[in-house]
Amino acid sequence: MIKSLSKPNKAPVVLQLKDIVKTYNSGNVQFNALDGVNLSIHKGEFVSITGPSGSGKSTLMHIIGLLDIPTSGQVLLEGKDISHFKEHQLAQIRNVTLGFVFQQFNLLPKTSALENAILPLLYSDVPASQRHQKGIEMLTKVGLESKLKNTPAQLSGGQQQRVAIARALINDPKIILADEPTGNLDSKSGRDVMDFFHQLHQKEGRTIIFVTHDRELANEADRIVIIKDGKIEIETKK
Amino acid sequence: MLKPSLEDLIKSALRSILKNKGRTILTSLGIIIGVTSVILLTSIGTGLQSYINDQFDKLGSNLVYVAPGKIFNESGGFASGEQSFTNFFKQSDIRKLQRGLGDLAIVFPANESTLKIKFGKKEELTSIVGTTPEWAIYRNSTPPEGQGSFFTKEDVSKQNKVAVLGFSIADKLFGTRNPIGKEVTIDGKNFKVIGVVDKKGGTMGGPDIDAYVYIPSSTFKDITGKDDIMSFSIKVNNADNIEAVKRQTKRILLEDYDKDAFTVFDSSQLLSSINSIIGILTVGLTGIAAISLVVGGIGIMNIMLVTVSERTREIGLRKAIGAYPRAILLQFLIEAIILSCFGGIIGITFGFLGSLAINTFFPAKVTLNSVLLAFGVSSAVGVIFGVMPARRASKLSPIEALRYE
Repeated sequence: MIKSLSKPNKAPVVLQLKDIVKTYNSGNVQFNALDGVNLSIHKGEFVSITGPSGSGKSTLMHIIGLLDIPTSGQVLLEGKDISHFKEHQLAQIRNVTLGFVFQQFNLLPKTSALENAILPLLYSDVPASQRHQKGIEMLTKVGLESKLKNTPAQLSGGQQQRVAIARALINDPKIILADEPTGNLDSKSGRDVMDFFHQLHQKEGRTIIFVTHDRELANEADRIVIIKDGKIEIETKK
Repeated sequence: MLKPSLEDLIKSALRSILKNKGRTILTSLGIIIGVTSVILLTSIGTGLQSYINDQFDKLGSNLVYVAPGKIFNESGGFASGEQSFTNFFKQSDIRKLQRGLGDLAIVFPANESTLKIKFGKKEELTSIVGTTPEWAIYRNSTPPEGQGSFFTKEDVSKQNKVAVLGFSIADKLFGTRNPIGKEVTIDGKNFKVIGVVDKKGGTMGGPDIDAYVYIPSSTFKDITGKDDIMSFSIKVNNADNIEAVKRQTKRILLEDYDKDAFTVFDSSQLLSSINSIIGILTVGLTGIAAISLVVGGIGIMNIMLVTVSERTREIGLRKAIGAYPRAILLQFLIEAIILSCFGGIIGITFGFLGSLAINTFFPAKVTLNSVLLAFGVSSAVGVIFGVMPARRASKLSPIEALRYE
């Protein structure tokens, strides 16, 4: 079923999914949210995942984000099979390899932008003395150097999402995973966020995967993965 | 290496507790009340104990008492049943005991009778003690300078009608006037006041020693017509000899009396009986107060469970960005421990201030032990009641938690 309209990518594969099946049981009915998905993400790629609701794109996102383990199939991170890693091992990989951006921002309330941005460092090896420095660096990068002490309630939606992006970047991750990053934003702020992703991709060569139900946004990516009924139907390349 | 470090965990727990000040205080209230009452009750217990010990010291040390009847039961507590305080021993017993004890100790009698004492129009019913000058020396009852003197051996041998007043009886009869040299009437007979003993403080529950009036033993016999002696005090020359003197005294008295007819004891024995009663009371009351610590712990557990569900999204996020289950467990456990330790510290402060306030009218003494105990118990409560909510938090799936509205 996979139609690849693209010429082969020469960059090394960062993440590879092989024959991923994810089965949910509801009562006596078994249902495959993912049904044999094969997908390779190359270094420096800007990939969008799209599809109608219930198509399995959230499940796919969770598998890519190492938040969930597949029922069968393999997840290879830089060639290493991590499908059977324990929860604490996966947590550590998520911490250093992945940067998450969510639709709901998921910032800690009543907590400053700076403290929010450096939250992942709490679970990494970065010494306490360097954390604030790194946090200021990242918030400067997203243009919030004047809002370090502001709490989420004192920031606009777009600013909150930029704090979340700073948080995702703080551990210099191999992959940035964004789940409907513009879903809760007005069109202008949403545009800013998308522009920022493009900038990260083009200037820094970052690998970015984002999930959206919006076909127009999905088209901005280098490669579009369309998922339907748990299967990857079309992969297109601009 | 533990990630996050303990320092980071404590800092972030403190931060989240400080963000909800009102809730923090309400949550800790149970622990605060529990710890305050534990500290207060133990401080009253120990205060009472040291107060009583002080009183015994003031009454004189290295003393062995001989009293009629059976005072202690076999297990060291006070014997139950009616005590007979009728005059009992004979004058010859003193001489016999003194001979038997030799240089080890000095035996002196104490006869007591409740009689009327009168000065002018004022009249009081009080304890009249007939004794010898040794009483003044060995029971710390020598009048201080400017307040006359105790009677002498000569007063005893000449049966002089002289009296030494306790502090409070002198105050009642004479008020601000100087009693020395004045005439008082005891049981209708005139006595000359030759001294006033300083205030010694009451003996808890016992007779008020400041209301005693001391007269020579020979004169006492003269006015009451009683020749027998109610009790002896025996001053032992050295604390190491107390046991030997007690044994010797018992042996001598057993020659003439039945073993249940008299009791030979020293103040330490009396003291340990009183101390054990106070000890049991303190432990009992503290135990009741400790129940509120358990209630406080349940309060903390409740709030922590609410906190965990309130912060489900936060837990999901933390897990997504790299917190492993144990990091979440420790975070919530430490929050519970800090909440209850915070309550413990406030409770200790309140207990300490409370016991200072009580101390102005009743003996109370906060000991380091009770503070450590209260602190230990409150942190233990935090651990015990914090584990369940923290485990629940650590087991949340990040996907479910992030989806939680």
